[in-house]
Amino acid sequence: MVETATPEVSPGIITGVEEESKSGLEPGFLVICWNDPVNFMDYVTHVFQQVFGWPRKKAEFHMLQVHEQGKSVLTRESMEKAEHYVHQLQRYSLHATMERDQ
Amino acid sequence: MKIFRAGDKFIFEVGSREKHLLLDVLRLYPLIPAAHHLEKSHRSPDSSQKLLDEALAEQRAENKKQIESFLAEPGRFEKTEAGWKFSPSSTELEWLLQVLNDIRVGSWINLGSPEDKLDLRLMNKETAPHLWAMEIAGAFQMQMLEALKG
Repeated sequence: MVETATPEVSPGIITGVEEESKSGLEPGFLVICWNDPVNFMDYVTHVFQQVFGWPRKKAEFHMLQVHEQGKSVLTRESMEKAEHYVHQLQRYSLHATMERDQ
Repeated sequence: MKIFRAGDKFIFEVGSREKHLLLDVLRLYPLIPAAHHLEKSHRSPDSSQKLLDEALAEQRAENKKQIESFLAEPGRFEKTEAGWKFSPSSTELEWLLQVLNDIRVGSWINLGSPEDKLDLRLMNKETAPHLWAMEIAGAFQMQMLEALKG
């Protein structure tokens, strides 16, 4: 990811979508965003806000996870919803995939 | 180039050269090869991948049509004393961001997907247009993202 200004974010304020859905009985699919050296950090943050409706701080947290750890699990959803999110992220040319949560 | 937010609209004030640059770079869409998404999505289940690819192909065709209409629409750009003005809606700005990012990422792929900064000494007649498109698309994107941040 191409660095722009690094935001200050606190993981403590992030409420994980993953936590909410893990309590569900339905097997889930993980939506994962992978790092690449071309997309701007601000762009990735903006896309997360648009696609998931997240506040900027949460979007920045996941963007930094992608940047620093190579990937971020963005959400855990049913197959249909996961497909929808992957499609939305790919529309913005982000490297996004889904995989079954095991 | 200056971009202001005015309600649901964004007002772009561009010089004549910037206007030509924007239109020239938009004409390059799409640049990301369809196979690129296939390679990237290898982790998605096979059953869903076909649908995702079809949806993406439809989206790109729709974007291409929108660009053609954007470029051809009379009155899209209004002449001002300092240059030109146009006012995309929030939805159009999102679409412009997607299109410009396709051009930026596609140009990067055409340059061989370099991990680090490009060695400018390796530039030649074949690679220079890709670097130009990547940098110009990126410059417009950054201005738009700044405007969106407010």
